[in-house]
Amino acid sequence: MSLLRTLLAFLKRDALIEASYRTSFLMQAFGIFFSVLIWYFVSRVVNAPPGTPGLEGVDYFSYVLLGLALLHYLSSAMMSFAGKIRSEQMTGTLEAMLVTPTPIGTIVLGSSLWDFLLTSIKVLAYLAIGRLFFHVVIQLDSLLPALLVITLTVLAFSGIGILSAAFVLYLKRGDPITFLVASGSALVGGVFYPPEDMPVWLGGWSRLLPITYALHALRRALLRGCRFADLLPDIQALVVFAAVLLPVGILAFRYAVRKARQEGSLVQY
Amino acid sequence: MEHAPSGGTLSGAPSRPASGAPAGAAAAVRAERLTKVYVKRRSLREIGVHPFRRAERITALSELTLETRTGEIFGILGPNGAGKTTFLKILAGLILPTTGRAVVAGIDVARHPQVVKRSIGFVTSDERSFYWRLTGRENLEFFGRLYGLSAAQSRSAGRELLHVMELETLADRQFMGYSTGMKQRLGIARALLHDPPVLCLDEPTRSLDPIAAKHLRRFVIDRLNRERGKTVLLATHNLQEAEELCGRLVVLDRGRVLRQGSVAEITSGLPGRDHYILIVSGLESPPVDARWALAMERQDGARARIDAAVDRDGRAFSDLLRALLEARGTIVSCARREPGLQEIFDTMSPDEERREP
Repeated sequence: MSLLRTLLAFLKRDALIEASYRTSFLMQAFGIFFSVLIWYFVSRVVNAPPGTPGLEGVDYFSYVLLGLALLHYLSSAMMSFAGKIRSEQMTGTLEAMLVTPTPIGTIVLGSSLWDFLLTSIKVLAYLAIGRLFFHVVIQLDSLLPALLVITLTVLAFSGIGILSAAFVLYLKRGDPITFLVASGSALVGGVFYPPEDMPVWLGGWSRLLPITYALHALRRALLRGCRFADLLPDIQALVVFAAVLLPVGILAFRYAVRKARQEGSLVQY
Repeated sequence: MEHAPSGGTLSGAPSRPASGAPAGAAAAVRAERLTKVYVKRRSLREIGVHPFRRAERITALSELTLETRTGEIFGILGPNGAGKTTFLKILAGLILPTTGRAVVAGIDVARHPQVVKRSIGFVTSDERSFYWRLTGRENLEFFGRLYGLSAAQSRSAGRELLHVMELETLADRQFMGYSTGMKQRLGIARALLHDPPVLCLDEPTRSLDPIAAKHLRRFVIDRLNRERGKTVLLATHNLQEAEELCGRLVVLDRGRVLRQGSVAEITSGLPGRDHYILIVSGLESPPVDARWALAMERQDGARARIDAAVDRDGRAFSDLLRALLEARGTIVSCARREPGLQEIFDTMSPDEERREP
């Protein structure tokens, strides 16, 4: 309960800061609309038939819209933990928070919550714009399994994100793993085009990335209305990713906090 | 998280006049042979060029042992790089000691940092440590939640502390619009949100103008120490400030304790000379003696200002006064000039080179 109260305090803080930038919301809304518009016109040029391997029987615009939406979650989960630590270090507020009895894990989680909330709003906006203006058919019957897929994806990528935060805390710089996973996910993860359409030696790498399974499941759920049982193989893969990556991230973070306290570099950047 | 245990009352019920806390009072903070050695991280290039070379080690604290009594203002005096901030950060749980032990309110800091944080308030001189786009009130309410207060407690503590710090009328102004003095006062307000019994102030007047600094010093003595009975650990490199505020203090240099005690205890018994400012009239020429050095400066009329450095033995000063009178001088005034921090350090460790952090 007290954890929830503390997390809510972080949300309130970030909402107040965000609201102090008057045009921020407006600019972000325009940004989302323009992004969708750009990809709509790109899809008209691409005009790939729904039967194209890997497109899951949907049109290219619907395919890429889901890819973009989940890419936002991936970015939030992987970048926001480290990004927030770095930004609080630079503004000098990290030290002020660390001298309070609130554990550092709660501080990092709380500081990233706003990003996740904003990302969720963005994803909803993507889907709403797609549905209202571009007639993308979203299968709301499969919303629950889709939410489960998103949760597992966020957890798995959060493991990498927390690992990245550990790197920032201890080595004062981002880690190469995050860069590789982020770039790899965009390149072969099936965000913009199906990995099945790529040469096997390149597309095969997609099997090592959680986003591949997440997007596969999400598109089947939201665009084709597949049921839970149909999504089970992807969900199982995501559970394995989350079960491995999250503990690795947390352990690395604990180690980094201890080392940084030993070195006296907790608030240095 | 529960509301932090309190050492006094937020409403300000007097606990005890504290700066001169009774000698038998319980220890608020105790350091036992506390040592902190920083190991400088080596770059990949250094490792490549000298793979077997030992990493450089910097001793920030060396076997520091001290004890502060509950309700006193205790000074930690030293130049830059003396280890003052390292010591306070160890108490605040930001740095782990290499060896030794620090105890706050009976609790080991390294073993139970989260528990100790409920008994300690930490004030830095870093004015960036707030959210600049939030108001003073919003900042305090947020940090109150991190100290484990409920929303209502946080609001109420914030309101009261803004009043105590005379920031009430500016409570709803964004932090970026505060002056340096206001920012410093808000920093103290934040450290008091959970009403801790121990306050660590790290050079709180460093960036303040003389009037704001004086105001803050009075506040520390009157409101924090005397009214609320807070134990205050004050890190400073300003001897005058330490003398004004602290009942006792420790003098650190490069992590080592040079002296501990009251200012009088620390400055007395030092080898070297005492300094006096004398205003003398009718003096033709200053008396000469190997036991003193006089710098005379003529003022208006027959008056002269003499800056005297006198040997610290029992008779030298009275012999000087006698010599001035015998030379037909009239002593108009005489004041002892306390040695500056630099003089004390030079006297205590004259042969070692000073360094910046």
